[in-house]
Amino acid sequence: MSGLTFDPMLAWPLVGALALLALLVGLWSLWRGLRGWAWRGIAGLAAAAALAGPALESGIRHKLSDIVILLDDRSASQSLPGRAEQTDAAVEELTRQLAALPDTEIRRVTVSDDPDGTQIGTALTRALAAEPQGRVAGAIAVTDGLAHDAPMLPATAPGPVHVLLTGQAQDWDRRLVIEEAPAYGLIGKPVTIRLRVEDQGAVPAEVAQTPARLRILLDGKEMRGLDLPPGVPLDLEVVPEHAGQNVVSIGFDAPQAALPELTDRNNSAAVQIEGVRDRLRVLLVSGAPHAGERTWRNLLKSDANVDLIHFTILRPPDKMDAVPVDEMSLIAFPTHELFMERIRDFDLIIFDRYRVRGILLPQYYDNIRRYVEEGGAILVSAGPEMSSVESLNLSPLGAILPARPTGRIYAEPFLPRLTEDGARHPVTAGLPGAPAEGSDSHWGRWLRMSQVIPDPRAQVVLSGAQDQPLLLFSRVGKGRVAMLTSDQVWLWGRGFEGGGPQLELLRRIAHWSMQEPELEEEALLADVGGELTVTITRRTMNPTAGPVTITRPDGRTEEVALAEAGPGRFTARWTAPGPGLYRLADGEISRVLALGPAAPREFEETVASGAVLGPLAQATQGAVLPLSDGMPGLRTVREGRPAHGQGVGGPWIAITPRNAASVSGMTHRPLLPGWAWLALIAGLALAGWLAEGRGRLRAQAAAGG
Amino acid sequence: MRWLLTFAALLWAGLWAGALSAQDGPDPRLVRAADEVALAYMLTGDAEVDAASQAGLRGLSQLLNARTTVEPGQPIGIDPETDDLSLLTFLYWPVTDAQAPPSPQAYVRLNHFLRSGGMILFDTRDGDIAGLGGPDGGAALQALAAPLDIPPLAPVPADHVLTRSFYLLRDFPGRYQGGQVWAEAPPADAQAAEGVPFRNLNDGVSPVVIGGNAWAESWAVDENGLPMFSIGSGFEGERQREMAYRFGVNLIMYVLTGNYKSDQVHVPALLDRLRQEEVVQ
Repeated sequence: MSGLTFDPMLAWPLVGALALLALLVGLWSLWRGLRGWAWRGIAGLAAAAALAGPALESGIRHKLSDIVILLDDRSASQSLPGRAEQTDAAVEELTRQLAALPDTEIRRVTVSDDPDGTQIGTALTRALAAEPQGRVAGAIAVTDGLAHDAPMLPATAPGPVHVLLTGQAQDWDRRLVIEEAPAYGLIGKPVTIRLRVEDQGAVPAEVAQTPARLRILLDGKEMRGLDLPPGVPLDLEVVPEHAGQNVVSIGFDAPQAALPELTDRNNSAAVQIEGVRDRLRVLLVSGAPHAGERTWRNLLKSDANVDLIHFTILRPPDKMDAVPVDEMSLIAFPTHELFMERIRDFDLIIFDRYRVRGILLPQYYDNIRRYVEEGGAILVSAGPEMSSVESLNLSPLGAILPARPTGRIYAEPFLPRLTEDGARHPVTAGLPGAPAEGSDSHWGRWLRMSQVIPDPRAQVVLSGAQDQPLLLFSRVGKGRVAMLTSDQVWLWGRGFEGGGPQLELLRRIAHWSMQEPELEEEALLADVGGELTVTITRRTMNPTAGPVTITRPDGRTEEVALAEAGPGRFTARWTAPGPGLYRLADGEISRVLALGPAAPREFEETVASGAVLGPLAQATQGAVLPLSDGMPGLRTVREGRPAHGQGVGGPWIAITPRNAASVSGMTHRPLLPGWAWLALIAGLALAGWLAEGRGRLRAQAAAGG
Repeated sequence: MRWLLTFAALLWAGLWAGALSAQDGPDPRLVRAADEVALAYMLTGDAEVDAASQAGLRGLSQLLNARTTVEPGQPIGIDPETDDLSLLTFLYWPVTDAQAPPSPQAYVRLNHFLRSGGMILFDTRDGDIAGLGGPDGGAALQALAAPLDIPPLAPVPADHVLTRSFYLLRDFPGRYQGGQVWAEAPPADAQAAEGVPFRNLNDGVSPVVIGGNAWAESWAVDENGLPMFSIGSGFEGERQREMAYRFGVNLIMYVLTGNYKSDQVHVPALLDRLRQEEVVQ
């Protein structure tokens, strides 16, 4: 960086005028035939030049090295067989060749797994931004090309960007693509998952012809299997069966071929559908208006998600008065419609102090029994009528009730207590204020209950007077029956002797009957907290809970021991090794847990491709070359020239040295010192004078002689 | 001598046990009230009024037994100073000029009773003279009820659930008729649902109903089941007594079932919806 600069002593026009004058003098001398005209003119110009003050300026330069970004992709998709070795070899070879180039530095950028997939674009943009634009001589990425952040890729780069693709030419893969999956679904109503099977890469002919054998599991239970040819979209109907997470796992076995597909990890996917209850419909049948009836109404009416249909027998068929019908506000109980036609629309039927008095026909009770066996729920809150001849137990419904009355009624104050089962049962465990040893908490007493003999299969969770069963649960077929042998739960609501958690207890009983997963006795819960950390909670009525067997996505199993965290609660914290579909099992009970995305993003696509990085390579005159064709040679070319080509020894790629330098200082030297200018001008003038003088003498001598 | 000592020891033990159980067990009258939904009345100290209250509630209980599924036991008189009100559902409170207001502790209990779902029927028994400008029960009522947490009141509207909780009623006569009856004011945003002839009022139960129609006297029967007080004259009077009983039935149904009758108008709509969903499926 050096050059001539001017530092005029007079203003430029004056210097110009002087130069013009010198030229005019020269021309005038020529016209007059003066022999020294050239000397005169040059002397004048020299004077003008001296006034212009020419100087030599030069910088102090340091040559800067070129920077080559060497990016290696170590994401999970690069862990497929052979790719890691390919990457290692390529990076080693490139490092060696680049190190051999003079003044070339290597910037290594390693891209590892990210929850959002392989972030090559981000890494490249960041690496380029970190380096001075003038020194970047190129970038070389060793990758399978499966970047998931195409929008983050820079549009261009200061040097050529080369992409060396790992993988083999004969790589192929068959994968499952979930095109559309709902996140929520109403329980019992079908939702649609759209999916297809896609073949990628060099699919062997024998595989391309065969459809994939799809296996579809709902919550780990086989739902259906079907054959789906590749490329054909399928609308799969799934019915969420319960509230909470319904995991639909869809998968197919790796197709049989001489050369196996790249990975079978994208052959399956887990779709999580949150089951949401439609509005709950509760039928409340009160046998008579009584003090506790409004308790039920308050509970059910305060829940915006409940449609309550309530019937109270205000007047039994055996009582009449002379009041004309049009002065009464009574309507007939639409028993046939409720108990025969519509019964399956109800999620729960509550019999509140109901006495059998000929209003319901025996076949209705039979129908209620069938309804329970098919998955319905009944809650009986029985008053003293249970011990009478009008007991529900004497109806056909009695066969499914969890207890049989003895006819004895305890009319004495008693304190409801949790039984051993009750302390474990999710309905009663953790009820606020439960009487416990060593605590002041206290429930109010109730004043009356019926003695019953519980069915051996029933669970007694609360006991009352003389430790007789107060609250019993049983399962009948697919349905549930709960029975409260006292009608005085309302005393808790009234605050008698301090009261008790009456609304909470009744709410839990009702929701347990409706099979709310949160209140299941035997439950295996998994709370995903943080990335892959899972809190496993096993709720059980058994005294112990075995280790939970966890089946990993790759089929290996491990066992996690559980520690007791309270009555009937066993927990463990466990960290999954990676995203995927895990199956947790403890004996009969199992649960499918999907961690991370539906299918691991890294394995969505596995066949190496330059589709994402290709445009950038093209824009920067770089190349996308498969490493399976051999390692390309490395050259240097000038900027703007094609940076790749086919040589004698195979393909080559090039970097463009930038010859960058830094300037650390500047020197300013006048072209000639002042006295030299003076001598020069004087010399020129003298030469002109001499030339003219000597010429005239010579001419006179010639004329005189 | 020895047997005397033994007897004394036994007596002492018995007394001690009795004292223990008395302290431990709730009042058996109130237990019976909780078990049988017995109607309760406030003891005023005025023997005549208390007798009328008891006879009135007895008459109403007998009528409920005869006509409805509600089968209350014998009515009980309540002294708020000593009795635990949380076992009661309904309390009839005749207002007299002479009665002493309950103590602050009793008001705490009364307020808890009102908050937790109980109901008090205040009866000033002055339906014949109220509103004429002369002295009536209003002042005494105000003095008694001032410490109670009573929500804003309004005359019972014509579409209140009290008018249809068992019988269809237009007014609420007792021994007198035509007097204004007050209950909790409907919420300002009460709207009539489409196709329903009345507004959805009082989601819940008014903690008090106030009137002056001397209802207990109109319901009162003696041991033989005969009316104790005359109402009006002749057939008209008996018709009024019947209406008074109907009001009593409606009131007890309202206390026990709340807005059940108000909701029931929605049942056909709910059933319709079930039907429609079936068609859609």
